[in-house]
Amino acid sequence: MAKVRKTRKSKRVKVSRAKASPKIELKKETLYAQEIAVGTAKFSHPEAPRRMARTFPQELPSQYGVDKMVLMVRDPWWLYTYWEVNNSTVERLKSELKEEFYKARRILRVYDVTNIIFNGSNANRFFDIQIHEFANNWYIDAANPGRSWCVDLGLILSDGRFITILRSNVVQTPLDGPSWITDEEWMIPDDMFARLYGMGFGQGKSSPVGKAWRQRIISSPGMASMASPVKKPQQKGFWLKVDCELIVYGATEPDAQVTVQAKPINLRPDGTFTLRYALPDGKQVIPVKAVSADKLENRVITPIVTRETK
Amino acid sequence: MPKGYLALVLHGHLPYVRHPEHENFLEEDWLYEAITETYVPLIMVFERLVQDKVNFRITLTLSPTLISMLSDALLQERYLNHINKLIELARKEIERTRWQPEFHNLALMYLSEFSKARDTFLRYNRNLVSAFKNFQDLGNLEIITCGATHGYFPLMDIHKESVRAQVKVAVSHYESVFGRKPRGIWLPECGYYPGQDEILKEAGLRFFFSDAHGVLHGTPRPKYGVFAPVYCKGTGVACFARDLESSKQVWSSIEGYPGDYNYREFYRDIGFDLEYEYIKPYIHPDGVRINTGIKYFRITGSGNHKEAYHPQRAHDKAAQQAGNFMFNRQKQVEYLYDFMQKKPLIISPYDAELFGHWWYEGPMWIEFLIRKIVFDQDEIRLTTPSEYLSENPRNQVITPSMSSWGWKGYSEMWLQGTNDWIYRHLHVAAEKMTELAKNYPQVNGLTKRALNQALRELLLAQSSDWAFILGTGTHTEYALRRTKDHILRFNRLYEEIKSNSIDQDWLADIEYKDNIFPGIDYKAHQ
Repeated sequence: MAKVRKTRKSKRVKVSRAKASPKIELKKETLYAQEIAVGTAKFSHPEAPRRMARTFPQELPSQYGVDKMVLMVRDPWWLYTYWEVNNSTVERLKSELKEEFYKARRILRVYDVTNIIFNGSNANRFFDIQIHEFANNWYIDAANPGRSWCVDLGLILSDGRFITILRSNVVQTPLDGPSWITDEEWMIPDDMFARLYGMGFGQGKSSPVGKAWRQRIISSPGMASMASPVKKPQQKGFWLKVDCELIVYGATEPDAQVTVQAKPINLRPDGTFTLRYALPDGKQVIPVKAVSADKLENRVITPIVTRETK
Repeated sequence: MPKGYLALVLHGHLPYVRHPEHENFLEEDWLYEAITETYVPLIMVFERLVQDKVNFRITLTLSPTLISMLSDALLQERYLNHINKLIELARKEIERTRWQPEFHNLALMYLSEFSKARDTFLRYNRNLVSAFKNFQDLGNLEIITCGATHGYFPLMDIHKESVRAQVKVAVSHYESVFGRKPRGIWLPECGYYPGQDEILKEAGLRFFFSDAHGVLHGTPRPKYGVFAPVYCKGTGVACFARDLESSKQVWSSIEGYPGDYNYREFYRDIGFDLEYEYIKPYIHPDGVRINTGIKYFRITGSGNHKEAYHPQRAHDKAAQQAGNFMFNRQKQVEYLYDFMQKKPLIISPYDAELFGHWWYEGPMWIEFLIRKIVFDQDEIRLTTPSEYLSENPRNQVITPSMSSWGWKGYSEMWLQGTNDWIYRHLHVAAEKMTELAKNYPQVNGLTKRALNQALRELLLAQSSDWAFILGTGTHTEYALRRTKDHILRFNRLYEEIKSNSIDQDWLADIEYKDNIFPGIDYKAHQ
């Protein structure tokens, strides 16, 4: 399969392809849509507008009084970093740099530290992102999958010097396609091998596989559209729904036997009853018959109801 | 002679939602719906298969939070009330629909289903985990574990102690429930970051699952793609990758099975459709309309017009689609076998709640599929990862690539504008938890209780479900509240432990509210 690797020329170009590997993507996009739908349905009550009023807990701290900068991987192309600078660190910088502090530009310096032990000055290369003073997190378009990254929050002084305030951890972005390394290494875990050996089994065989097979795995036909027949139907514009139900109610002696349309019903302890029916169009004949406990007397009353919908 | 293997993997998980402090709590319905619509139907499928001596294999994750809820006496009591009310509603529906035979028959069907759900629930002494344990003990089911609270590991990598705690707490919880160690783990959201297999190895776990690109984009190239597991370099923990083709057949919104027009429509529920006063006792006590589980329509078509559900037609369709799925796997296996000169393994993992809760006919489809595979053909054999590894121990060694099975395949679902702010709080808490575990190696009494509770609060805050819900951007209030509650409780415990001023009443109160993992050991966070 053709490798979709590009060298980094312009960061802007990469933004447009900031998504998963295009070939897998086609197939997977519909999977993800459905998985999100199922995930959401799991936490359903999709129609419930507002829940029960609840007292809201207090807010989380806006700061923890620490110097901390964390770098995380969002996907092969994008990183996310957040940071907190302790007040005393800011004060120290202010007293050291005096007016320079206020004139300095705030910068995220993004280092490519692939295959090196980073000491602050041996990065493969770096690029800077200017940020505003009150930012405390940033999404970074690193644009190159399969590389290791480290970020400094720092100041660029008017004379061009760079001063590091915080340094992040190192992370590695995943590849966005198959590895170009094809050396193979195989193993049988020791305990399994021991068991096999004891049973006198041989080892499994393997043989090379071709390119067509690879292509079959990766480049299967994509989906034409994202529309889902299972998705929630949308109400379009103004609308009206009407349906009818019929309530049949009455009373007799509490120990009487009552049937409605020849089917026995239960009475309340006081001898009353209520029945509720969905009422379709057409005529309903509803004989209500009560028989006294000693079976000597009975009464029949027959409401006839006709529904017509125009 | 089989030419390949199929491993069906169901991932069962719900976040820990249990509110003893409220008499009614809407979000607890997530569990009740899952029991009635997914877990009981699956148990009934497995029971029928065992009864008919069908030699099947399925792998099932039961997340520690799900196990904890299924085993909790309060939630069991509440489920019983819930299902009793549903049965009452179904009885009323049988009456109400007397002049509408197409709905009347469905009301009868629901009464029968709800009654069976209650019977099954009671037959296992209210604890459905024991049902799954039986199937595991019989050798049909391989139950694997998950992160303790389903924390998303790649975004926790900065504090590996948290990943370790998620894994260790899960493994010891599993052991206390099933009487043996788990062999494998479902990484929450299949979230893998290279090196985290080290922590799995420490915990004695032999395998995990990743999405296809986790293995396909691993280094060096995997010789057999996703059709054989690989061992992680340095640890030898096996990684099994999802087969996209079989996933797509079930999941896909276009040609996926659940979208068939004969199947039951998820979104038309009498909780929303019926007259308010009538349905009021069965919706939320505050009067908010919610799903009841009684749904009378089939998908019908792409528009708003819906026709009555027809169980027999849906049943026939499920049988037909199970046959179609099997046929496609046979073709896939034949093709791959010729190519690989080795029996391919097809890994088909699904969210367990797809079956039943979302796709009403799903459990039926699984049953048809299993019976067909076992009786109607010889090309594919059902297997589990453990069984596969013991028969095929020699596998390639690679470093899998960071990946997840979530939206876009990486971490964006849990790391975007609506939820990225949680990590600064979670990470500081993780750092503090490590500090506590290190500075209090030997404690007893109140301090020990507070330390254990601190780890509970941290783990509960880390559930990926909160970030997921915040990420979808709808009905985020509860997820927001849970995230804040647990972090605030953790922060206060930290301060009180450090200043040796633990508020005993408050501690008892949060122990009562957040009672998960009674046997937790805070030293797991190291």
